[in-house]
Amino acid sequence: MAVALEAIALNKRFNNLQASNNVSLAVEQGEIRGVIGPNGAGKTTLVNLVTGVYKADSGDVKLAGESIVRCDMHEIARRGLVRSFQVTRLFGSLTVAENLRTAFLARRPTDGGDGGAQIDSMLDLTKLRPLANTQAKKLSGGQRALLQMGCGFMVPGSCYVLDEPFSGINPVIKDSIIEMILDVNRRHNATFLIVSHEMTIIRRLCPKVTVMMEGKVAAHGSLDEVARLPEVIAGYLGKALE
Amino acid sequence: MRKFGLLLAAGLAAIGVSAQAQNIGIGLDIPLSAPGDAAGGQMIRRGAEIGIDMVNAAGGVLGKKLELFVTDSQSAPAMGVANYRRLVGENKVVAVTGFFHSSVALGINEVAKEMGVPTLAVQASASDITAKHYDIAFRTHAVDPVRVAAWMEFIKKKGFKKISIIAETTDYGIGLTDETIAQNKSGKAGLDIQKITFDNKATDFTPQLLQIKSFKPDLVLNIGVGTPVDLIMDQATTIGLLPTTPMLISYDAPTRPQYWQLHPKNGEGIYFIAYYSPKSPLSDLGQAFAKAYKEKYKEDPVYGALNGFGAIEILAQGLKAANSTDPKALIKALESGTFKSWPDAPVTFPRADGVYWHNWVPPVLIVHYTKPNQDWKEADIAVTYSKK
Amino acid sequence: MFSTELVAQTAISGVMIGVLYALMALGITFIYSIMRMINWAMGEFYMIGSYLQFMLVAWVLGPDLWWLAILISTAGVFLLGLVVQWGLIKPIFKKPPEMRDDYATVVTLALLLFLRSIATGLAGPNQFTPGSTLPIMMIGPMPMAGARVAAFVFALAALGIFWAVLRYTWYGLALRAASQSRVGVQTAGIDVLSVDRVAFGIGVALAGLAGALLAPVFLVFPTNGMITTVKGFEIVVIGGLGSIPGALIAGILLGLIESFGAAFIDSAYQNIYGFLLVLAILVLRPTGLFGERGREA
Ligand SMILES: Nc1ncnc2c1ncn2[C@@H]1O[C@H](COP(=O)(O)OP(=O)(O)OP(=O)(O)O)[C@@H](O)[C@H]1O
Ligand SMILES: [Mg+2]
Repeated sequence: MAVALEAIALNKRFNNLQASNNVSLAVEQGEIRGVIGPNGAGKTTLVNLVTGVYKADSGDVKLAGESIVRCDMHEIARRGLVRSFQVTRLFGSLTVAENLRTAFLARRPTDGGDGGAQIDSMLDLTKLRPLANTQAKKLSGGQRALLQMGCGFMVPGSCYVLDEPFSGINPVIKDSIIEMILDVNRRHNATFLIVSHEMTIIRRLCPKVTVMMEGKVAAHGSLDEVARLPEVIAGYLGKALE
Repeated sequence: MRKFGLLLAAGLAAIGVSAQAQNIGIGLDIPLSAPGDAAGGQMIRRGAEIGIDMVNAAGGVLGKKLELFVTDSQSAPAMGVANYRRLVGENKVVAVTGFFHSSVALGINEVAKEMGVPTLAVQASASDITAKHYDIAFRTHAVDPVRVAAWMEFIKKKGFKKISIIAETTDYGIGLTDETIAQNKSGKAGLDIQKITFDNKATDFTPQLLQIKSFKPDLVLNIGVGTPVDLIMDQATTIGLLPTTPMLISYDAPTRPQYWQLHPKNGEGIYFIAYYSPKSPLSDLGQAFAKAYKEKYKEDPVYGALNGFGAIEILAQGLKAANSTDPKALIKALESGTFKSWPDAPVTFPRADGVYWHNWVPPVLIVHYTKPNQDWKEADIAVTYSKK
Repeated sequence: MFSTELVAQTAISGVMIGVLYALMALGITFIYSIMRMINWAMGEFYMIGSYLQFMLVAWVLGPDLWWLAILISTAGVFLLGLVVQWGLIKPIFKKPPEMRDDYATVVTLALLLFLRSIATGLAGPNQFTPGSTLPIMMIGPMPMAGARVAAFVFALAALGIFWAVLRYTWYGLALRAASQSRVGVQTAGIDVLSVDRVAFGIGVALAGLAGALLAPVFLVFPTNGMITTVKGFEIVVIGGLGSIPGALIAGILLGLIESFGAAFIDSAYQNIYGFLLVLAILVLRPTGLFGERGREA
């Protein structure tokens, strides 16, 4: 199978802290990969390096075989690598519908139209229709996470990097987000890299996970495999997963 | 090694400074940018520069050349004072001339009286510039009382009764306004005077002009300096105050080349104070200057240029009479000598009473544009007033 | 003194001038809302607009085509804005965000001095006017210079177009989104630096438009943008930084306060009344009348 997203020996230093230390990983087309690890392990830093928010000190990032490490954020997005933020980045004074429209128009396919139909179906999918004309800053945390996810799915990307999409969200919305991820994965064979602390969801979505600790990749493998490794138990889980 | 380099540089700089000190420096502080009247300052500068060239071409002064140091007051007293300090401290000038805005001249004189280098004001008219009787303060310009006396005579001649004054809130504007009110009282002229003031940084005078219009005056006295003069004219025209109500401008702004470009439609009928008209006779120096000016700038000199030139001539003659560049000696020489400037009349700076201390006053004219696009040299002279 | 006619005239003159002040304030606010930088050289773009208008009317198009001159002057300032953003501002915005504000401030201040001295050097300190062939018009009881009425109408139209573009076009949506989250628009796939370029161009074009419109009214000289810029900043404080309706309403408010203060309190302090209002706002409502709380990071 083809590799969709590849990080090669990424390094990033903040002052005295090596936040990313020789990080390498490869995610295959259509795979849903989990990234787990303790707070401050460098998961968000990895996401930021892959999506162009930070420039790596050294190393390379490849999307479908092409290096994107020198691209600006918007170029990476246009190439089909879409991300979500741990702290949602929405356009607060724009309405829910306008947020979706911006996301659509920014990456619209050449024959895309004005996105009316897509916005409609996304409002149904996210069940945000009653709030379509509400400003995004007035939404609850869960609704914001949903909307952010909805924005990412407005134009199908080839690869999604999601930074803690489930944190602080009620179980109903969590399920909606999981549904959306599985739906896009199935229909478009889209690749996912999902950072999360939610082991049950990771187990359900991700056949394979990458464990990060202290800026380094500590292990790859299925969640059950890595959860048995003594260094992962010591450095992250504290005890073996049930 | 590095230290040596620094010393060498300092030494070279010092030599440079002493080479410069071969010249006799004269300071020229004028407004060259807003809110100052930059156009007014520019005229004085042109005259002074030609003056320097003419004096140097004729062999200079005391075996040396004159050198002009120009500074920009922007009409701000604080800026003028800083300029004066620098001219005296760094450029070692023997006198500072120029001065267009009265506030600047007044501010500078307060410092000059301590530092001792004389000032010669060529176009600032507030009384206190000379009325304070400072040793260092000289002037070759019509003072407020003379100017006000000129327009009081004009008002009397025309039989005007209701007068609106629109004046900027500076020493110049307030000084002229108060003097007009005082002469109205002392001369028992019985005028009904409306007094309106404005900030000289303002651009919209419509509110003030509306008040004036509702007062229905016989004459509007436009006591602005620089751009406000033109804006007041235009905005008065808009609300219908001009041309029905005559307007008198308090200085010779309308003699400037851009006047008719700015006021092709409402420039006619305006009265203004002037200190020079080609109809007044020039000295031989004045004629030579007028010729040089015309050659260089392709237009006739206005009063500001003539007076800027005159100041350099007077200072050069004063230095020769003093036979020294010492400020005290120069002041003595100016007080006691008789000099030649652009008008065909002797120039003196006696220790006279009141505002006439160290003050030579050229005659004041009230000039009237009677045709659109009229050359100021052909404009009517409505009143000629000389101090009695 | 308090005749109803004078009150009506004062009110009309205040509103007319206020809308033009608002144009200037809108430019400042708009650039700030997208780029989070204050363009101190705003008055110089006003100045350039006024010189372009003068040159076009006096030398190229003639006084009858003043309206075409206004469009060309505004477009000219817009293009200049694109160049300035590309050459001077964009390189700063590629640096880390912490340093941006300081650098951008220094650059716009340097630009201010540079443009002013260029104008003085090329055209001298004298005033010019493009003149106006428009007749004086009666607005209610108030006679108004045709050029001022035209300026008012153009300014209103420009405000309307500006609003409609923001509201109803795709680019307007991108601009509004960028004012909310720069990272957000980049993640969505929008080149935020090119949005900046257009925003900067539009912002300075609003100043250039004000300069071109007011050229026959307030004359053309190297520092003519200064006072309008001061008013612009006052309005921005009164209306709230980043607020577009705030700019319009505060502009009219400032025009009215100045004009009534000058007519009925003391005309000597015309420029102080607005400043007093600014102080009052800072004490009572520091975010301005329509100020929003900070955008999302
Ligand atoms: N811009 C930055 N400047 C300085 N230090 C940073 C920066 N971004 C991250 N760090 C540091 O790098 C380390 C890794 O941070 P990162 O956000 O990648 O961790 P994380 O694995 O996402 O943690 P969490 O689970 O808490 O989100 C932390 O110590 C953090 O303080
Ligand atoms: Mg994180």
